Parts: sequence; C-alpha cells; structure tokens
Amino acid sequence: MAAANSSASAAGAGGSAAAAGLKTYFKTPEGRYKLQYEKTHSAAVLHYNHGGKTVSQLTVAYLKEKPAGQGSTPSTPSSSSGMRSAAARLLGSGNGNRTLSFVGGNGVSRAVSGSSRIGGGLGTSGGIGSSQAVANYDGKGTYIIFNAADTLFISDLNSQDKDPIKSIHFSNSNPLCHAFDPEAKEGHDLIIGMGSGDVYSMSLRQQLQDPGRKPVAAQHYNKGDKDGTSTGRHILIFTFHLVIRPFFLSSWHKCNRCTSVAWVPEREGIFVVSHSDGNLYVYDKCKDGNTECTFPAIKDPAQLMISHAKSSKSNPIARWHVCQGSINAISFSPDGAYLATVGRDGYLRVFDFSKEQLIFGGKSYYGALLCCTWSSDGKYLLTGGEDDLVQVWSMDDRKIVAWGEGHNSWVSGVSFDSYWSPPNSDGTGENTVYRFGSVGQDTQLLLWDLALDEIAVPLRHPSSGSPTFSSGSPSAHWDNACLPTGVLQPSPRMRDVPKLSPLVAHRVHVDPLSGLVFTNESILTICREGLIKIWVRPDQNENNQQSNSSELVLGNPVSKDRVITSSNKATGSSFKQSSAVVFT
Amino acid sequence: MGAASSRLEKALGEQFPEGERYFGLENFGNTCYCNSVLQALYFCVPFREQLLEYYANNKSTGDVEDNMLTCLADLFSQISNQKKKTGVIAPKRFIQRLKKQNEIFRSYMHQDAHEFLNFLLNELVDILEKESKVDAEPCENSSLKKNSNGAVNVQLNGTKKEPVPTLVHRCFQGILTNETRCLRCETVTDRDETFFDLSLDIEQNSSITSCLKNFSSTETLNAEDKFFCDKCCSLQEAQKRMKIKKPPNILVIHLKRFKYIEQLGRYKKLSYRVVFPLELKLINTVDNSDLEYSLFAVLVHVGSGPNHGHYISLVKSHNHWLFFDDENVEMTDESMVQTFFGSAQEFSGNTDNGYILFYESLAEKS
Repeated sequence: MAAANSSASAAGAGGSAAAAGLKTYFKTPEGRYKLQYEKTHSAAVLHYNHGGKTVSQLTVAYLKEKPAGQGSTPSTPSSSSGMRSAAARLLGSGNGNRTLSFVGGNGVSRAVSGSSRIGGGLGTSGGIGSSQAVANYDGKGTYIIFNAADTLFISDLNSQDKDPIKSIHFSNSNPLCHAFDPEAKEGHDLIIGMGSGDVYSMSLRQQLQDPGRKPVAAQHYNKGDKDGTSTGRHILIFTFHLVIRPFFLSSWHKCNRCTSVAWVPEREGIFVVSHSDGNLYVYDKCKDGNTECTFPAIKDPAQLMISHAKSSKSNPIARWHVCQGSINAISFSPDGAYLATVGRDGYLRVFDFSKEQLIFGGKSYYGALLCCTWSSDGKYLLTGGEDDLVQVWSMDDRKIVAWGEGHNSWVSGVSFDSYWSPPNSDGTGENTVYRFGSVGQDTQLLLWDLALDEIAVPLRHPSSGSPTFSSGSPSAHWDNACLPTGVLQPSPRMRDVPKLSPLVAHRVHVDPLSGLVFTNESILTICREGLIKIWVRPDQNENNQQSNSSELVLGNPVSKDRVITSSNKATGSSFKQSSAVVFT
Repeated sequence: MGAASSRLEKALGEQFPEGERYFGLENFGNTCYCNSVLQALYFCVPFREQLLEYYANNKSTGDVEDNMLTCLADLFSQISNQKKKTGVIAPKRFIQRLKKQNEIFRSYMHQDAHEFLNFLLNELVDILEKESKVDAEPCENSSLKKNSNGAVNVQLNGTKKEPVPTLVHRCFQGILTNETRCLRCETVTDRDETFFDLSLDIEQNSSITSCLKNFSSTETLNAEDKFFCDKCCSLQEAQKRMKIKKPPNILVIHLKRFKYIEQLGRYKKLSYRVVFPLELKLINTVDNSDLEYSLFAVLVHVGSGPNHGHYISLVKSHNHWLFFDDENVEMTDESMVQTFFGSAQEFSGNTDNGYILFYESLAEKS
C-alpha cells in the first residue's frame, strides 16, 4: 500500500526516477548544500486543470504561535472531530513514506537534526509518532504552500513526508499565485490569485484545522465585475459556495489572469494583486469583497493610470494600470514603501506605493521580465527574464548596476539570501555583502555574490580586479548622478553594464524551475510541475562530525578560490549517475 | 471554411487591418510544409512588398515563362487583391511549378519545411540574378546557371559570393565571419560567409539565446582537425569561432530538431523545450550591435517523427497573432506562442514544436 502511494507521488513529481542523473549536493565556498528531502503532490490529487497549463509557485509561511484567546478558530464539536480524522489520514500515509525515506535517504536524513528550530513547537522533525503533534495546528510552524493544476497544497516544511498535509481544491479556476502574511494580527493571512482573475483570502490555520478539500471561511474578491454573483462574506461563512459565472470565456480568462499577489508590509490587511492585462488592484481585507465597483476605461494602455474606488467601503480600493501587456510579478520593499513590478514590456518599474508615484524604471536587455525581488535592506533589486540575465538594480542610483550571466534559458526566480552572512573578513579585502540566488528554465540553480564596493564605490578598491566583473567596465559611467524621478530608461547597451558570474551553477531538477526561497536552514527550489527540493545549508559543525571525512575540505570556507563556473554547459552535462538517493 | 473565415472576421471586427487579407491555403496532399512557409513569407511584409512591387513592374512584359518567382509573386498578388478579407486560396500553380522544378518535392511524402524554404529562397535568387544579368548585359549570352545549392550546406545555408543584392538578399541575407586564430603565431584569419538563415543545434531546456551563444562559442581545432595556417605554412592547432558580422533584416532561425542518430540509423525528432522570446538581440555579433528583433512568425512541426506529421504557422500581423493551418485561419493570442516551446522531458507527449522562427529587425521599421 505504501509502495503504491509512493510510486504515484513519484509520477506526480514529474518523474523523480528520471532525476537519477542529478547530484544530490552542490559545493560552495562555504561548504556543501545537500538535498535534504523533496515535497510534491500526488498526481492522483490533481483533478482537473481549468484551461491552460499552470506553473507551480512556492510560498513559505511562518505561522506564529496562536495568541491566546483569539476567537477565529472554530471550536465546535464537529470541527474538532474533523481534526482527528485529518490526523488519522496523515498518520496512514506518513508512516509508509517515512519507512521508505529511511531506506533510500542515505545520510541525508541525518541532516534533519539540524532543522528542528522552526518546527520545534510542532515536534515534526522526523521522530516517529510525531504525527500526533502535527495535527495540533494551533502552534507555530513553517509550511510550504504551492499550487498545481486546480489545487493548492500545503506541506509541513519540517516534516520528511513528501506528501502534502492538506490540499485545497478549487472547482472553477486554477490557483496561480499566493502570498502569506506572517504579521497578520487577525483574520486572513493567506491570499490566492486565480486564473480567472478572482482572489481568495483565508486563514492558513483554519485550512490546516479543517479536513475537507474545500477552502473554509474564504473571502472571495472579484474586482467588482458587474455580473459577479459572489457569495463571499467576510469570515462568517464556513461552507464555500461555487461561484458560477457564465461569462467565463477563455479570452476573458486569459487576459485577466492573476499573475502575482503580495501583502503590503507594515500595512495591516492591505494586499495587491497583479494581472495579465497590465492592471494591479489594491484590496483591503477588512472591506467587503463583493461590491459594485467600476473603474474608468483605460484610454492609453501604454500609460500609467491610477484610479480609486468611489465608495470607501468596497474592494478593490484602487486600480493601477501599469503597462501594456501582462504584469508578470510584483514585490514590495521590506518596509512597504516601494512597489516593484516587472512585465511583458520588459520594464522594471519602482513606485512609491503611498504616494502612487513612479520613482524609476528600466528595461531588460530584451524580452519580458519574469520575476523581481528586493534585498532585505531595500537597497537593491533583482530581476530576471527572457534575456537569460539576472539584473541587479540599485535603489540609490535608480539604475541597473550589473548583469548576471550564467543561465542557459529564461530566469524564472530570483531571491536574496538574507540569512547568509559573509565569511569572517580577515583583512583580505574580501568584501562581499550580498548573496543571492536565481533559478531558470534551464533547470539550474545559480548562486551569486554581489561585491558592492566594486561597483558602487569603485574608488575604495582602486585596482582590485575582481574576478566577478568583466575587465574594462567603465566605472566612471556608474558614478554619475541620480536620475530624475519617474524616468523609464531604455535597454542599456551590452558593453555598458558590468557582468557578474555565478559562484555556483547546479542543475537541481529535471523540469524547468519556477521559483526559489531561502530559509534559515535551507534553499527551497520548485519546478514548474510542482516538485520541491529542500537543500540544507552547509553544516557549521560539519568538521566535528564523523560522517564523511571527504567533505571536510569542502566544509572549510575557501573564500579566495571562488568556484566560478564559467561554462555552465559543461557542468550541466557532466553530471554522472552518482550514488543516487532515491526519494520516494 | 466559410464559417471559420467569417469567425475570424468577427473576431477581428473593427480591428481588421486596413487592406490586409487573411487567406488559408488548400492542401494538395502533404503540402502543409509549403503552405506554412508561404504564410510566413507572405506576412514578412518587406519581402511581400518588394515581391509585389517586382511583380507589378515586370508583369507588363508578359512574355516570361513561368518560374518559381513568377508563381510566388502571382500567388501573393492573388491573395492581396482578393475582394473578401478572409477565405481560402488554392496555390495550385505554385505547387505545380515546384513539383516540376524539383523532384524532391514531387512525391506526396512529408517534406521538410526548412529544406523547402532554403530551396525557394535560393531559386528566387537564381532567377533574380539571371534577370538582372540579362538586363545589364543583354548581348552577353552567358547563362551562368549556378548550381542551386539548397540543402547542401548543413551548417550555413550559404549563397554565392559577391551576390547582386536581390530582394531576397535585402531581406534575409546576413554575413557571418569565421575567426580562426592560429595558436602558434596568433594570427587571426577572417573568412566571411553569407547566410539566409541560421541553423542552430539545440539542447534540452535551453533558450534561443543560449543556442546562439553555443553557435558562436569558441571551438578548438586540434588532433585530426588542425587548421592550415598560411603564415606558419603548416597545420596548426587553432581556435575558431563564428560571429555575425552583418545581421540580416529578417532573421530566420532554424532549430535542428531532426537529428541523425547513428545507433538507430535514422533521423529522430528532438522535442526539446527551447524557449524563444518575442523580442531578441543577437549577442554574437562582431560589433555588439545591440540590434533588436521582433518575432513575427513561427513555423511549427507537429508530430513525433521526421517522416510524418504536419506543419502549421503562427503569424503576427498588425499586432494580432494568427494561426494558419492549411485552409484554416484563426485569431489567436500572443501567449499561444509559448505552447510551442517543446517538452521539458523526452516522453511527455508535446510534439508541437517551434521549428523555424522569423524575426524582423526593429531598426528597419523605424
């Protein structure tokens, strides 16, 4: 029975068996990142795809300890029995998988011991019998939320179970993007953008407590379409009603698809949803989801146009028409002051969110931009796109400062590693400040070091000749004054932008990748088909372990000899079938 | 058919471009390779306009014998002069001429669209060059029948040296330079070659940008494959790379999806996922030109093998994407392009793959 289960989930992962040619670790100057475990959905769970292929996206949700006395949890007898059945279900499949993963997980499962930090409250770090505790969703925990076809899945990050602990099935459209607000004081903290253009908000904890396959107590927002017969009512409803809208035509469907959702940091309850028609809508979770709300027609689709809702009670509260064609991704600066958008037109745009003003913008080398993110100090932005490049933008300089060359296909995910700290500077002049990662449709994960001194303040390091930058980059060019507010800059010329080379390039999946997330312990990568791999960071105490002496050398921070993989082609094809860890 | 074409008209409605015609082409038994190429060429506006202009100027003479050029021009003019905005046309005369001209295309077998495009462009060049020669030196009776070298050169579908720039050259011709550096004396030898399209080797889960990079990557000539250096007067180890010296106005990229597999003793189709952006810059030019191109047509091969299957084309016209499948013409969306990238894993079933890409230079337009 367990074997049957696991083979089904292997198929759902897009062929884990075929992944045999992939290495289960990769080397960096600070040590080895090892594949800890995988998470995916079982193909059998996917019922139906509401038109068009979906791309799986990944959200990591840090659920805090439930504050005492918060009344949003159902305490009726019926729902508590539901909790019991959920626990039973989990125990059944969990045991089978655990056994298998111990069989195949040579050495990797040992690394789990280092990961009990977040899951501490749940006791889910792999001990037998801990599943009982998993059912207690009142505590804190770290969850992975990802979508595939018509379903949203939730997995416990700190459990070795490959299968999700919860799947939420949507009967009228595909979930495409999602965001979690760890700071939400009350009410809903999870938002989900749909292929239909609709948006749902819900409480993650409530979903975890409910055994069903439907979202519970979900709020439905439909941008105030006149014909919308939404039944969403704030927090009060427990059963989810089908929203039947006969005008769900495919052309309409296509051009209004949700592309990205984000909570506004430091603005309790406010979230933003971007769409494939170049619009983004601002919502307030404390307002009604279903109101008559119309915005004026867009006269020139290429021009920025911001309109506010007439009624102060309704949602959405504002519409921003940003660009012609799709907005592909949005990202808020950590303080919530700035909003970055990237889109089909190839532009990154950075707005002052509260002033509703364009600060600056710039273009890809060519093609659409697909992803964007901020550094944790809000000083730098990363974008990636169809020119196979990772662009680094400076907020202070309001322009591009470097291009990362190394992907062999479109760049689909970028992220700064805010948990990473540079190896202790021992006066060697190594002054790397930022570490970031990128994933692409070339199935590779790339890690990069951004040595800022060498771009931003070239005078401090007059002749360092960093290996990460192309020689002869005209540094004077990068000293000029800040550009005026609100200017969209055209594509720079190839020779004008300093180039970065990746520190590491590693083929991590069989399928094209769609995203990555850094956590304190690991790097999470997800492919378009919905297989997630968790790469545990190098163990600081690796040297003290008796496990594998051959790793000792690698564990040392070889700071000066950077592992620069200039030819990714070579690395990509040179992977041999080496002691493959079979994850089932 | 009628229903389909009126549906297209309805879909476009008010936005139907002034003076534009969208006509399907009848299939005469496995002639989809031909139809898909013809549609892409028809919607290659500079080519169409120049061909129609040529046709208008040369029609009056009236005494010329049918050839591929007159047949193509006649077909294009037929389409563009239709009273109706949409419908179906039978490219009968063109197909007959093609079969007469080249025995390869005579059978009812499935043909390679790239081979046909190659043959057609070279044939047009031959005819145009011959005519311009006749015009220039009417006394000289040298019928310089050049060997039509379609499908001879696998790497580069090269044309002749010092060509009279015909309309085909003006649209499609680019120049590649082959830089060879002798590793002994460091002398760099440049050799230029012209091309009408670039044939690129493909890799699984890669992009066109990456394929172009590989195309121009440095290759070391050694062992059995040494380079004869003129300066050293001997065979030497050398480094070779191919760069684009003059980018064409219309960039045609052919993905080598049909690969000869020695073990199998036959060609196999590679359904690799190769993504191509709607805008592209050539990263492998000699002078870093930063010239931007925009995708306007995609020829799609449908099917799992090289000897059977079907061809369709996606075409951008006046900022609308259209889908041409022989007689059928339908309005579609830009996002449909990405359904033809290929499959990320070998046996996952998607066999509708972009095969020939047509990009137009944006500099030419402005």
